[in-house]
Amino acid sequence: MALLPLSAQFEGDVLELLIPVDDEDTVEAVGAAIAHHVVGRRVAAQDVPIRLRHNGRVLDPQERIGAAGVAPLDHVEAFYA
Amino acid sequence: MPQLSRSDWYDLARDTNWAFRYVDEEEVFPEALSGTSRVPAEAWLKWDEPYKVTYREYVHNQVTKDTTTYSLKNAVSRSKLFDQLDPGWKSVIVAHYGAISMPEYLASIGEARMGRFGRSAAWRNTATFGTLDEIRHGQIQTFFPYGLLDKEPRGDWALKAFHTNNWIILAVRYLFDDMFVANDALSIALQLTFTLETGFTNLQFLGMAADAIDVGDLEFGSLISSIQTDEARHAQQGEPTIKVLIDNGEKEWGQFLIDHMFWRSWRIFALLTGLSMDYYTPLESRRMSFKEFIEDWVVKQFADQFRDYGLEFPWYWDEFINELTWYHHAIHLGVWNYRPTVWWNPDAGVSEAERLWLEEKYPGWNRHFGRHWDVITENVRKGDIAATLPETLPITCKPVPAADRAGRGRARRRTHRRHAAEPRAQRPQVRLLLRALQVDLHPAAGPLRRTPVADRPGALGRDQPAGPGHGVGVLRALGRGAGAGRRQLRMGRQQRDEGLNRWRCYR
Repeated sequence: MALLPLSAQFEGDVLELLIPVDDEDTVEAVGAAIAHHVVGRRVAAQDVPIRLRHNGRVLDPQERIGAAGVAPLDHVEAFYA
Repeated sequence: MPQLSRSDWYDLARDTNWAFRYVDEEEVFPEALSGTSRVPAEAWLKWDEPYKVTYREYVHNQVTKDTTTYSLKNAVSRSKLFDQLDPGWKSVIVAHYGAISMPEYLASIGEARMGRFGRSAAWRNTATFGTLDEIRHGQIQTFFPYGLLDKEPRGDWALKAFHTNNWIILAVRYLFDDMFVANDALSIALQLTFTLETGFTNLQFLGMAADAIDVGDLEFGSLISSIQTDEARHAQQGEPTIKVLIDNGEKEWGQFLIDHMFWRSWRIFALLTGLSMDYYTPLESRRMSFKEFIEDWVVKQFADQFRDYGLEFPWYWDEFINELTWYHHAIHLGVWNYRPTVWWNPDAGVSEAERLWLEEKYPGWNRHFGRHWDVITENVRKGDIAATLPETLPITCKPVPAADRAGRGRARRRTHRRHAAEPRAQRPQVRLLLRALQVDLHPAAGPLRRTPVADRPGALGRDQPAGPGHGVGVLRALGRGAGAGRRQLRMGRQQRDEGLNRWRCYR
């Protein structure tokens, strides 16, 4: 249980955002946390899953973000699958 | 008393290049303040300003300008002209006064540095007039908005802004402190007068004066015209300076100084002027788009000018040209979303007619940016204003928002790839953010609250009322105290120090 601040962008958005999450959060929860600040605000909602990309690798939605090799302030990209 | 023509005595009167007997050159012109030692002292004697003015002529001209401009202000202040101005235009001048009035005064410090440490008497003479110019500009651009306080309370940002740690001000101060205040005379000549004034602001002021008259803001139009004519005169200090450098084999150093500050000026210029021209200025008064303005006045004319001296386009020129089509549009979306954090009332400027204009001027605008405004507009129409306001902080870079071309992310990804090659702890963005986050996001400081910032009336179009409650910082809304601002300032100083270190390394 530790704070994990991320530098995140949702694909299709114009802003890079500071997204604080917990390192025990799942990748899916992190994607949702990013989407909360973007989807329905600047990017239209879509009824499809949201995935997360880190250093070019698409992460397993059920993996813990801290265990996926994502370090504080790493850049991650959320996107519609 | 015999009346001599100016040319009979001008050169003799201004020549105060004395031979020093009790001190040496280094003591009189310390390199840190003068920056001129790359060129032999005698070479600076060839420095010659193209436009000459005597003190008598200067005072006469300035009195005439002040009399005209202040008289017009007095007359206009008794009318309803300001009340009748388009709200978008009011955004333009409120943003302008906050961002520019104090830097004009700071520029007097830069001019005074050239007036003392410029290596040629002609240069020092010209810079002394420039110092007086900039003091006048600082004063008049504070006096005028203060005269509007009963109609526009945010006019007080003309004085207040630079005494805050507002994030836009951090970006502007970071640029101008480096360019005007913490700089040597040589670099000021090339970066302030040649790059910023000749390249950007002199032309911008010409356009703004014309736009102001067009929208009926006679007071602002007269003010800007009186300033622009001063700028046109003292901006000429860059040309003879670069000529001396080139003639003495220091072209590369001149190129570096110009390249460095052209890019940084562009980023701030896009933020302030790009939004004003393409979104805030009433559609019927837009003479050209921001991109057309830059292409006509900067790319063609300024670039031709510095290429005439044998200088090259800056190494990032293609990136600069690329950004003309998208950078300020992305910034506009960001500023509008974070509108409670800025001192003016950002006009969305995306009515149907305005969107047609944007698409015409920027083919593909609807595809890249209009789709974001579609979502925002839908939220406004539903009355869900909270969905148009931010709940977290944007990532900024020195400290302009790290904006993207509607998610394409080419520039950002390139930057990311470049930084990815460095150890994480050495990446500048990470280093600075970590420093802030150790305090801001430490668990002991409590979790981030997700309570939306206070709702504000009117989100789109030109119906946003100006009110004293405007400008509540998102930092405060997110549960931060004033310490966040102080931390931002420390970050700004750290960035400045890093910039100076890189600069020293180059030298």
